[in-house]
Amino acid sequence: MSEQPSEIKLHQQSHLLEITFDDGSCYQLPYEYLRVYSPSAEVGGHGPGQEVLQVGKMDVGIKELVPVGSYAVQINFDDGHDTGLYTWQYLFKLGKNRDMLWQDYLDRMAAAGASREPAPGTKK
Amino acid sequence: MSFSETEVQTALKNLTDPNTKKDFVSGKSVKNIKVNGSDVSLDIMLGYPAKSVWDEICAMVESHLKSTLPGIGKISVNVSSKVVPHAVQRGVKLVEGVKNIIAVASGKGGVGKSTTAVNLALALSAEGARVGVLDADIYGPSQPTMLGISGQPKSVDGKSLEPMMNHGLQAMSIGFMIDGEDTPMVWRGPMVTQALDQLLHQTRWDNLDYLVVDLPPGTGDIQLTLAQKVPVTGAVIVTTPQDIALMDARKGLKMFDKVGIKIVGIVENMSTHICSKCGHEEHIFGAGGGEKMCGDYNVEFLGGLPLDIRIREQADSGNPTVIADPDGKIAREYKQIARRIAVKVAEMAQDHSAAFPKIVVQNT
Repeated sequence: MSEQPSEIKLHQQSHLLEITFDDGSCYQLPYEYLRVYSPSAEVGGHGPGQEVLQVGKMDVGIKELVPVGSYAVQINFDDGHDTGLYTWQYLFKLGKNRDMLWQDYLDRMAAAGASREPAPGTKK
Repeated sequence: MSFSETEVQTALKNLTDPNTKKDFVSGKSVKNIKVNGSDVSLDIMLGYPAKSVWDEICAMVESHLKSTLPGIGKISVNVSSKVVPHAVQRGVKLVEGVKNIIAVASGKGGVGKSTTAVNLALALSAEGARVGVLDADIYGPSQPTMLGISGQPKSVDGKSLEPMMNHGLQAMSIGFMIDGEDTPMVWRGPMVTQALDQLLHQTRWDNLDYLVVDLPPGTGDIQLTLAQKVPVTGAVIVTTPQDIALMDARKGLKMFDKVGIKIVGIVENMSTHICSKCGHEEHIFGAGGGEKMCGDYNVEFLGGLPLDIRIREQADSGNPTVIADPDGKIAREYKQIARRIAVKVAEMAQDHSAAFPKIVVQNT
């Protein structure tokens, strides 16, 4: 495996996951961004074209990171979502292509007429 | 004539350990050099079990010192082995009583994984290590037969199991828990993975240097559980030389790569067929397949074993080749492969680059 992180830091106030890789690169990934790009089947579906647009996750928090073997972490979000295994490779990709992927998400949101804000009255 | 310790050390810097391919000084094997007049004494501490070559190494060091330091007096070299525990990734619970876990896997079934696993375990044990075997093949456990063990494991505290013993190995298998050889385990995936977890963690392994895990074929539930929940040091892939087996072996290798388990190397089983009548050796499954795969993926070729009727007969009768014919050619080959594995594992134990990243939670 090429990408190997040396440290993962959760900034619980600013809702940023900071990941430092062995090659020195470092990315700050907002929790919301990680949540809406969860690699789980719930979000990504079982193949291209089956993705489920995640909405209203602006305030999502992270409860816990659970190590998986030596290749990934499972992120437990405070909205109950915990089925995504984020491999080092995937986190690297999310970091490297952040601007593009985030813009893509915003475009899809706009097209669907959905909002990043949690729907009133629902638990975040 | 008298020498300084540094002179002795410098002399040993030019001597290569044939197993690690490193010199004894930078491999940190040389300890306790003492010079008394022209007499020299020193300890060589190997990071891998190698009982069968201790004398060889001892003689090699002596003759090297004699030729590089003329006038040297009495030389006394004390060779021993000490297996270092593998630094395990955080998050995955350490298995109590186990220093290193070696998974023996293949893509294809029927390539001789279990036979290879048991012989390698016995070879490591013959080289002086404390070794256990965990039979992770829940649907088709083979280790009870191959190790010649029957009966059920005992429990001292009512919670954990004592490993079964034979040929100096500690062993655990689902095969010990079921009655009769023909009882099938008709289980779905989650039951199987839980059974593996229990066999591994609830067995009271007694101070093992190596636990050899005999995996079922494929890239499914058991393999994934092993990757996610078990602190594996490295995996050994067993294949046969023909394309159809190599194709699946490649998949096995890529799976371990995906889940961040290091590959110790590849063992090519049934490399050649040795005719039991005339002794003629023939590459009936093709030649060089395993070596080519190693080249393609930049992993070590650990060695090749022949398709020999004795290997099969001896494993089936509960006395695998390394026990049945310990000084024979095949047993020597198994021992050499076992040493190569041990050397590689010792190197991995010192390499912390792939350790699990530190996780920090901050109120910022």
